[in-house]
Amino acid sequence: MTRYIVRRLLLLVPVLLGISIVTFAMLRLIPGDPARVMLGEHATEESVAAIQQRLGLDRPLPVQYVLYLESCLRLDLGRSIKTNRPVLQEIAQRLPATVELTLGAMLVACLLGLPAGILAAYRHNSAFDLATMFGALVGVSMPIFWLGLMLAYVFGFLLKWLPPSARLSVGVEMKSIAEAWGLSGASPQVASLNEFFSGFYVLRAILTGNLRALADVLSHLILPSIALGSIPTATIARMTRSAMLDVLGQDYIRTARAKGLRERTVLLRHALKNAFLPVSTIIGLEIGWLLGGAILTETIFSWPGLGRLVVDRILARDYPVVQGSVLVISLIFVVVNLLVDISYAYLDPRIHYD
Amino acid sequence: MESLHSFKSAIPALELKGSPRSLLYDAIRRLLRNKLAITGILIMGVFLLTALLAPVISPYDPIAQDLAMRRRPPSQEHWMGRDDLGRDILSRVIYGTRLSLQVGVLSVGFAIVIGALAGAISGYAGGWVDHIVMRIMDIMLAFPALLLAIAIVTILGPGLLNMLYAIGIVSIPAYARIVRGSVLSAKEQEYVVAARAVGVPPVRILFRNILPNCLTPLLVQGTLGIGTAILDAAGLSFLGLGAQPPEPEWGAMLGQGRYSMFTAPHIVLFPGLAIMLTVLGFNLLGDGLRDALDPRLQT
Repeated sequence: MTRYIVRRLLLLVPVLLGISIVTFAMLRLIPGDPARVMLGEHATEESVAAIQQRLGLDRPLPVQYVLYLESCLRLDLGRSIKTNRPVLQEIAQRLPATVELTLGAMLVACLLGLPAGILAAYRHNSAFDLATMFGALVGVSMPIFWLGLMLAYVFGFLLKWLPPSARLSVGVEMKSIAEAWGLSGASPQVASLNEFFSGFYVLRAILTGNLRALADVLSHLILPSIALGSIPTATIARMTRSAMLDVLGQDYIRTARAKGLRERTVLLRHALKNAFLPVSTIIGLEIGWLLGGAILTETIFSWPGLGRLVVDRILARDYPVVQGSVLVISLIFVVVNLLVDISYAYLDPRIHYD
Repeated sequence: MESLHSFKSAIPALELKGSPRSLLYDAIRRLLRNKLAITGILIMGVFLLTALLAPVISPYDPIAQDLAMRRRPPSQEHWMGRDDLGRDILSRVIYGTRLSLQVGVLSVGFAIVIGALAGAISGYAGGWVDHIVMRIMDIMLAFPALLLAIAIVTILGPGLLNMLYAIGIVSIPAYARIVRGSVLSAKEQEYVVAARAVGVPPVRILFRNILPNCLTPLLVQGTLGIGTAILDAAGLSFLGLGAQPPEPEWGAMLGQGRYSMFTAPHIVLFPGLAIMLTVLGFNLLGDGLRDALDPRLQT
């Protein structure tokens, strides 16, 4: 197992280098002079030269790459052209919103997809099974941004059950975690940690004991989570059904039934436990899809996350922020995939990796 | 001797009745018995006809504006209503079918050609060639697909053609992996070993003997891939990175219409339904093809 983990970590090195080459190339492959593209046609020669120097565009390409790699390792992703703030700071400010949304969507997908898949397999070829599978097909065919717009219109505008956009209602106040715990004015490290973790609104509302804010935050999270979670829900339902059908035909299930065990025990304790392995892999892999899908969902629901930052800054031609965001999202994706692989090897002792 | 004679006379009785059935015939029979696949074919047929006959069946000019009639709801004259600039939504949806199908089919075609070539060369050559090609594919797969497509469009600039390339490039690894896997298993088969032994050139073996065996998984993945490509294209256009105004592209129509959604929901309702139905058609057919061509993988 340890050898497998070490091998997987070593295999990660060329992938990480590849990611760094792609993100490095992003800025350099822009047709024309990237500095002029960013500053616009009317920029002065001095300001173009200043940006070229700041981004190191006036140096030979291999030197530029080595410097880029070095600064990435120092966690220095440069400065935003638009705000002049460090890119990493901008990303850290937006990341919690995206993580919260992604986890919310995954929760929705598991809560709906798993039971639907289990019941569909248990009632194989029934009307419920057919309806679930057709619903899942419709689910994977639906553009999430359209579903998001429809949900916002029906539940946010017509019925007024849930807020159609943003993360928090106007007028709802929340103390930061440091403020609530009496740590204000502590070291700069504590301040930056406070800023980052206070970005997780659900966590912040819980840790500060603010139940009104918690209810408000959760109500804002529901619609975007359903929209973003729709495709993973369908995928998980299909995968769970397929895995359960495989398992339900095995001899040990027949034996369990022959012993007179309750159907619920057979289904949940014997069948689901074994069927869950391939499903858990899919759940992990869907996180990567969610990170991509969040770009669209955040745009619809005015969700101040990393996805919306990417879109806003592409339109503003703030390429250092776009470059940094792409790097961070793909790193998260790679790490999640690695953890899924390792957990798969850990969960199933039958799997041997040479 | 007599027993041999009686054995021979028994042979005609063992012969199968009717003409022998090919694997393709069996697959088509299985496909046509699948109700969901037939639904998919019907949906795709309707959209294909709509795309082909767009100039004939479209009631109005899809880009003709009438600002005095903006955001009008569906009526007898305008079945799907009018958009923000007073354009007929039905006509735009009809013309949008052409764009979406073109983007879906062309980007997947591009990905299949490049991916199949890369996978075939990688699998057949093996060694360092295989290693390098597969590591490049791993790097491409290390990005969420939509994010990579966005990154490519950022480099190339927004527009329909660049979006097509971006979606095509992002889809390459899936096809490369499928073909590489098929080539790896086919190249050890006896007929390939025999072809090599009699001196058939490698390129000829690859294209004449091996690649035809990869067509089944490519066909299934390609059909499902068109649906995904249409969704991705709509997403990019929605963000303003794909088709540009006044192109009647479904995603772009949603992107432009979302600002007036609360006052005129019909502007986003119909283009979204069109995207969903088209993608559903491809998914239903893709699932049906998979079940028909490889019954072991039945869903």
